[in-house]
Amino acid sequence: MKKFGRGLATIMFGFGYGEGFPDHSIASIEIKEDERIVIRTAAADVGQGVITTVIQIAAEILRINPNYFEVVQGDTHKTKNSGSTSATRQTYFTGNAVKKAAEDLLANLYHYGSLEFRSNHPEIAIEDGKIYMYDDPDDYISYWEMAERVRERGKKLEAEGSFFPVTYSPDQNGQADKVYVAYTFLSQVIDIEIDTDTGTIDLLDVYTAVDLGKAINPKNVEGQIEGGTVQGLGMGMMEDQVIRNGKTLNAGMTDYLVPTSVDIPKFKHYLVEEEDSEGPFGAKGVGEPTLIAAAPALANAVYDAIGVRFFDLPISPSKIKKALKEKEKEENS
Amino acid sequence: MQITFTVNGEERELEVTPYTRLLDLLREDLGLTGVKEGCGKGECGACTVIMNGELTASCLVPAPQADQAEILTVEGLGTRDDLHPIQESFVEAGAVQCGYCIPGMILAGKRLLDENPEPTEKEVRYGLSGNICRCTGYAKIIDAVMLAADKLAVEGSDSSD
Ligand code: FES
Ligand code: FES
Repeated sequence: MKKFGRGLATIMFGFGYGEGFPDHSIASIEIKEDERIVIRTAAADVGQGVITTVIQIAAEILRINPNYFEVVQGDTHKTKNSGSTSATRQTYFTGNAVKKAAEDLLANLYHYGSLEFRSNHPEIAIEDGKIYMYDDPDDYISYWEMAERVRERGKKLEAEGSFFPVTYSPDQNGQADKVYVAYTFLSQVIDIEIDTDTGTIDLLDVYTAVDLGKAINPKNVEGQIEGGTVQGLGMGMMEDQVIRNGKTLNAGMTDYLVPTSVDIPKFKHYLVEEEDSEGPFGAKGVGEPTLIAAAPALANAVYDAIGVRFFDLPISPSKIKKALKEKEKEENS
Repeated sequence: MQITFTVNGEERELEVTPYTRLLDLLREDLGLTGVKEGCGKGECGACTVIMNGELTASCLVPAPQADQAEILTVEGLGTRDDLHPIQESFVEAGAVQCGYCIPGMILAGKRLLDENPEPTEKEVRYGLSGNICRCTGYAKIIDAVMLAADKLAVEGSDSSD
């Protein structure tokens, strides 16, 4: 018999290292004469998309098409510390460092623009890679020409930005003003069907609402949600690492099952853009928070379907069948 | 020993040992690093190539078995400036994160669409089920293959006009 169940879980996640750790990121941006804008950051992109994100941020501030950007990443000779790609922190930390560098650079475009046009910066317009006086848009200096003129002044059209927020470690009672830079909130509803003969769980639909401040790249955010949720569901229903005497006994992917394309549910996402932090354009981290709610929501859905509470993962078909048998026995006695 | 085979349309003659894996031959000797090694034992699909029209885990193929074979790797599909419609669809769907599984996924998608140009979503899921992805949760990869099916159908009808 198939039994339907629906479960909900809600989590909050303080991201960044927090607790007083000297967590920061430094980035720089340079406008080059050869029509390139180079961002330098040590932030590692492991597929989550921080490189795309920082280009979007810089392009927005510098008012120019993202296609002009190039990123030098993770070269200890050319880049400064951006901190690790962990703790769901790169969009917030490196995003802010890049935003600050871009703002500094924009201010310098105004500064050199006012020198070149011998005018005040409020009369100067900057748009689409061009600097001009409002009353004469045809007489413009491109960013690239400006880079050349700045070089002739013996300088570079370049800026550095760093982001170094302060957090506090909690006192003995676990209290502090600000333990983490900000918190991401996520709620997930999972619909499942359990086959009571085989004990297998069919994942039907997953509805996710995440309060992330601002989705700088919505498609990347969806990718994070789907990837994180599927890892969480794998943990919830199939991934079973067997450790004995400090050794993992699973020999490979045939006896440590991870979800494949046939296992996954249908997704629906709701991105809640409630700006409540100092993140770039209000953005908060979404990486790790996407994994956490899946297993508890699944466990609640299982309870809803068959009335059994499980307290250890994964909730495998054999555990479900065993629990159903015990339940039946109890009900009959 | 000497073997001769065709890789991405080019005929190659190579000296191999009986123990060389096709995977290493492609990566080390021919520099085709789009072929990835994940598990090294036929479980993950990262090393997928299309050999004589079949999806093949190149980590399980001793090089001598590839003698006279025709092999396609992701490098033979399209270039950066001239992407194959399946590659284009992966970009558009946002189907790529770390990218490690993607060459195998793209070839699995191609093999599926060669055989079944109008697959249902369920058929796409089964077609990709031999390839493991740890990053994306598969949803956008499935979307990408569905999108590629549409693109290829349009292309096909264009060229027959
Ligand atoms: S490396 Fe060949 S299947 Fe995993
Ligand atoms: S994109 Fe990373 S494993 Fe698939």
